[in-house]
Amino acid sequence: MADISTLAEPVRFVFDGHAIETGVRTSLLQAWVGAGLPLTENVGCMGQGVCGACRVLVRRAGERLACTALACETLAEPGMQVSFLDHFPASRPHAYDLRALTDSWTAIDRIDAVFPEAKNCRHCSGCDRACPKGIEVQRMVNLAAAGQALAAADLFDHCVMCNLCVAACPEHIDPAHLGQFVRRMTASLTLRPSDLIMRLHEIEEGRQPIDPDAPGANPLVAP
Amino acid sequence: MGIPYARAIDAWRAAAPAAPQACALAVPELLRGFHPDHRPGGMRVLRAGASAGSPCPAELADLLQADSPLEDVDIAGAPMLETDVLVIGGGGAGCVAALTAARAGARVLLATKLRIGDSNTVMAEGGIQAAVGAEDSLQRHFEDTLRAGHFAADKALVAALVSDGPDAIRWLIQEGMSFDLAEGAQRMGGTLLRKTPGGASAARLLSYRDFTGLELMRALREATLLQPGIVTLDRHPAVELLTDDRGRCAGAALQDLGRGRTVLVRSGATVLATGGSGRLHVAGFPTSNHYGATADGLVLAYRLGAPLREVDSFQYHPTGIAWPRHLEGALVSEAARSSGAALVNALGHRFVEELRPRDVVAAAILREIAEGRGVERDGCTGVFLDTPSLEQATPGILGRSLVTLTHLARRAGIDAAAEPLLVRPTLHYQNGGVAIDPACRTVVPGLLCAGEVTGGLHGRNRMMGNALLELVAFGRRAGASAAADARGERPRNVGLTHLADWRRALIVQGLPLGRKAPVIFPAYGNFDIAPARGRAA
Ligand SMILES: Cc1cc2nc3c(=O)[nH]c(=O)nc-3n(C[C@H](O)[C@H](O)[C@H](O)COP(=O)(O)OP(=O)(O)OC[C@H]3O[C@@H](n4cnc5c(N)ncnc54)[C@H](O)[C@@H]3O)c2cc1C
Ligand code: SF4
Ligand code: SF4
Ligand code: FES
Repeated sequence: MADISTLAEPVRFVFDGHAIETGVRTSLLQAWVGAGLPLTENVGCMGQGVCGACRVLVRRAGERLACTALACETLAEPGMQVSFLDHFPASRPHAYDLRALTDSWTAIDRIDAVFPEAKNCRHCSGCDRACPKGIEVQRMVNLAAAGQALAAADLFDHCVMCNLCVAACPEHIDPAHLGQFVRRMTASLTLRPSDLIMRLHEIEEGRQPIDPDAPGANPLVAP
Repeated sequence: MGIPYARAIDAWRAAAPAAPQACALAVPELLRGFHPDHRPGGMRVLRAGASAGSPCPAELADLLQADSPLEDVDIAGAPMLETDVLVIGGGGAGCVAALTAARAGARVLLATKLRIGDSNTVMAEGGIQAAVGAEDSLQRHFEDTLRAGHFAADKALVAALVSDGPDAIRWLIQEGMSFDLAEGAQRMGGTLLRKTPGGASAARLLSYRDFTGLELMRALREATLLQPGIVTLDRHPAVELLTDDRGRCAGAALQDLGRGRTVLVRSGATVLATGGSGRLHVAGFPTSNHYGATADGLVLAYRLGAPLREVDSFQYHPTGIAWPRHLEGALVSEAARSSGAALVNALGHRFVEELRPRDVVAAAILREIAEGRGVERDGCTGVFLDTPSLEQATPGILGRSLVTLTHLARRAGIDAAAEPLLVRPTLHYQNGGVAIDPACRTVVPGLLCAGEVTGGLHGRNRMMGNALLELVAFGRRAGASAAADARGERPRNVGLTHLADWRRALIVQGLPLGRKAPVIFPAYGNFDIAPARGRAA
């Protein structure tokens, strides 16, 4: 990769067929709007890198293979070829209702019921290569298929739901949604904070009244 | 303007860790002198509409007093969808309202501008407030919120917020959101990790790492997409609300960006959850907000006759990135200061207690910059956020709990453990908005609002962590009210009759009809809604 921070020249590259010229240290998304192109999709957080909306396919100069990236987190480099990737909503035939999942003994069986494809993983690591956040997607899928819900959930901590792994998976496993399922399931079944529970009891019993006329609820009046 | 970076970094190094230092200026003078809300000439008095006579930032006033991009002919023959509850906005408040209304038995249509979840909610970092600590109470949360808002908030709304707090957290856990636990605590029966938000009298901020909003939005997005009874429409921003012949809000006209056509939705009740307005770049500031935060909801509700409140009050978050330019405005969470990171000027001095309310800290930073004690680097000016001293005092903290900050520093090309970040205030939150009651109803029958689009809850300054709680607490209230209201009489003779009155009001005030709003995207998005109708974007 060229060290672009030392370049004085404008950066020239191609984005969705448009020849774009931009300054150094400009994100792909900033270069797109800077070139006067309309931006009405493939954008959300605009640089924080958390919404996963700005999926692009990037081929760097001199490289043969293209890779996936987030346009707001990737700086434009000379000779890059970039194109936006459409958003692939996962079609999920097996909906689940977390609130109906009350028997924790059967929770792990639910992974297989909701994501039956997970056990068919071919270990092709297409998902790992697709993930712009470096998440071990394949390992998560395999852990989840083996019922190791907490370990699987932990691996998906940083997922931004860009769904690139969903698009990459030849077995239609929907890894991102499987990851989210195990994360949601473990939280809703195992998180029972005592301080929260105590406070809820107090509120129910009327022991947390609110007094709108208390001195602290009103501005100080000068004596 | 400021002191060159090389000299400032030497001063910082020589003094680190700098000793605490209170701001010498009294709070009222500090705010009046340096807070952007008080900049001379920044406000305009609204002339048309339900809040005529109130001050409002010029950038927003232009939109509030603009004409609709729609005419009668545009809706004639447009396809019409039917639903019980229409939710506009697919951020946190919208998803919570949709879920609640659907579970109450209503058919729900959720229309959003970008993709569901692309919002300010997913970007929230620091956490969510709820008074769960043994030494804490609802009353304390109530008083802290009122005090932080300079006692301008509606007490009934604040009481609703704080008393819903603990149950909102339980609800989020039931939806599958995780929360950090106190050091060494067990998932079953342990206690929640609590931090102290700026301006609070107790540790009350619950979090999930420093990406609380991402964790929340991931769970809510899945829940919404899987909930029977909710239809979602991405890339369908609302461009106008519809009314019926009795003045009731009867739904909305949406722009289908993919096909370039107008779609009408007729609904028994409509929930506006369109979030904030950071992308208006009020006072020329950079913003921490997502790309779609262009005040659309304020414009739509106002045109229909709903009064606004405290729209002259904005929150400038003290710590936005000041350098490098490609990250300008990006947020460095208050979690950094809550964990002990200090603010240091170019002389190596601290100049304000870092955990004062945000307006105070932001004004103090702007003062340092205005008076020449800022740090200048490549033409950008800010002050230091001393992450290296924090890492030294609490080894491992950057990698462990300030993950987003560390990631951001890496993208800025620096190692936060070795070099301080350069920060300055960034436009962060719209403190005011559409006036509502505790059931989320506006004065317009059939129109409800929830989340950042509303006003009255935060007074003139919002505490960290109250916005996430707001979207859950009031999202649920709005969903329940909407489901109930939708069972009433259905709207009849649906159309744009309110626009005739609105245009007359603009003309009477000598305001131009040529300006159209909502704008949908910021100007640099190279998209104009008015000529774009009838074309795919
Ligand atoms: C970087 C950042 C960090 C933050 N950190 C915290 C924190 O730690 N704690 C805290 O409490 N708060 C925090 N906040 C504030 C908080 O995140 C927001 O106030 C809150 O999420 C707003 O929720 P909302 O649902 O009202 O709006 P949003 O989440 O912004 O959702 C609004 C939705 O409406 C859509 N929309 C807009 N216009 C239209 C239209 N015309 N038609 C259809 N859809 C439309 C938008 O695209 C978006 O999807 C933070 C905010 C930011 C930006
Ligand atoms: S795990 Fe999948 S959805 Fe999550 S960030 Fe990686 S590619 Fe995107
Ligand atoms: S892409 Fe699908 S099949 Fe391939 S390793 Fe990943 S989960 Fe398994
Ligand atoms: S715009 Fe959100 S990840 Fe790029």
